[in-house]
Amino acid sequence: MSTTNSAAPDDRLERYSRQFRFPPIGEAGQRKLAASRIAVCGCGALGTVLANHLVRAGIGFTRIIDRDFIELHNLQRQILFDETDVVANLPKAEAAARKLRAINGDVVIEPVVTDLDSTNILRLVSDVDLILDGTDNFETRYLINDAAVKLGKPWIFGGVIGSEGQTMTIRPGVGPCLRCVIEESPPPGMTPTCETAGVLGPAVAVIASFEAVEAIKLLTGAHDALNTQLFMVDVWDWSFRRLEIAGLQGKVDCPCCLHRRFDWLEGLLGSHTTSLCGRNSVQVATRRSEPLDFDALAERLSPLGEIRRNAFLLKFTADGHEFTVFPDGRAIIKGTSDIAKARTLHAQYIGN
Amino acid sequence: MALVSIPAPLRRYSDGIGRFESTGTTVAEILVEIARRFPGLFARIADEGRLRRFVNVYLNDRDIRALDDLASKVGAGDVLDILPAFARG
Repeated sequence: MSTTNSAAPDDRLERYSRQFRFPPIGEAGQRKLAASRIAVCGCGALGTVLANHLVRAGIGFTRIIDRDFIELHNLQRQILFDETDVVANLPKAEAAARKLRAINGDVVIEPVVTDLDSTNILRLVSDVDLILDGTDNFETRYLINDAAVKLGKPWIFGGVIGSEGQTMTIRPGVGPCLRCVIEESPPPGMTPTCETAGVLGPAVAVIASFEAVEAIKLLTGAHDALNTQLFMVDVWDWSFRRLEIAGLQGKVDCPCCLHRRFDWLEGLLGSHTTSLCGRNSVQVATRRSEPLDFDALAERLSPLGEIRRNAFLLKFTADGHEFTVFPDGRAIIKGTSDIAKARTLHAQYIGN
Repeated sequence: MALVSIPAPLRRYSDGIGRFESTGTTVAEILVEIARRFPGLFARIADEGRLRRFVNVYLNDRDIRALDDLASKVGAGDVLDILPAFARG
């Protein structure tokens, strides 16, 4: 816990008056928020809405972790960025921090431009009270889940595709973890991604806003009001679902929270990515138990143009990069030597 | 008769059908019916006779793994949802 703002005089609380007049928060709750530390993992669509809400709400310390740069097609939904950020080619974490500091100068914002992975996650989340999911792939979510369960820290899962999103509040030792609920990520090519299925800004805002409210409840100690279900919403057809998952804890044979095996944290599962020296290419390798379904992948990628394939590899071009994909999920992405960018492209076009 | 619900991204494998009524009396029996009526859908959600690990099935909004799993009894008025995990941004 930070002590920077914990003894803030009342005039410093005044800016939050409309929030702490809400009885479940109160002045005591507001002081708890000022003394709280969070990490927002991923600063894209979900992450910008999360950071926007929580910095405005007066969380004392917010670390924003992101590996990516801002592009024009981000602006439709990534609410902290504008056209000048695109021209300046700023990293998302840095651009978000600049914007957020102008919004609230009373709190600490720490941008971290990095690819969150098994080598750095413990360092980046061990000094926060809560981890928030603003990522776009299961690989990083399972890594966050491992770290959160190992450290006994709560985290809030959220994801959106098309008009549909879901969120779940995960409290290690209290309820099921992500691996209890979703035992394995879908194989590459099996399910759509935001790049192939699209994503609506308002759908992201709804899910990230639910995540932000859960964060405020957790940090102010309003645990009785927390969501214990898997919440799903489709903003297009106006449907809401609350799926009962609490009974899974201890009932499913979870390698993570039951057996305390942290496969992603220990690097046994997940990406093994290397820059291919002198080739301006990066190999992104994902260890998987099921082979890649070329038919499904080719069908999903068909809007992008020509797909060339044989039994051993599938090639396509997107975003000016040539992708060569292998049945084990491995891909060589030509036109970059930047590992973080290659992992982003891999997640965007091939999936987890 | 139980109502089986198929999410939009999987409907291309069920001839566009989003809901159908099944006479199955357990989750396993309903999966057998899916395999017969929509083999393409079945291949997406199951492998070697068991559900794929990224696919969850909910009976009246409860995860079947917290009930009797594939042996969970299903009857009139029950709703079965088949929900694969998506990557999501």
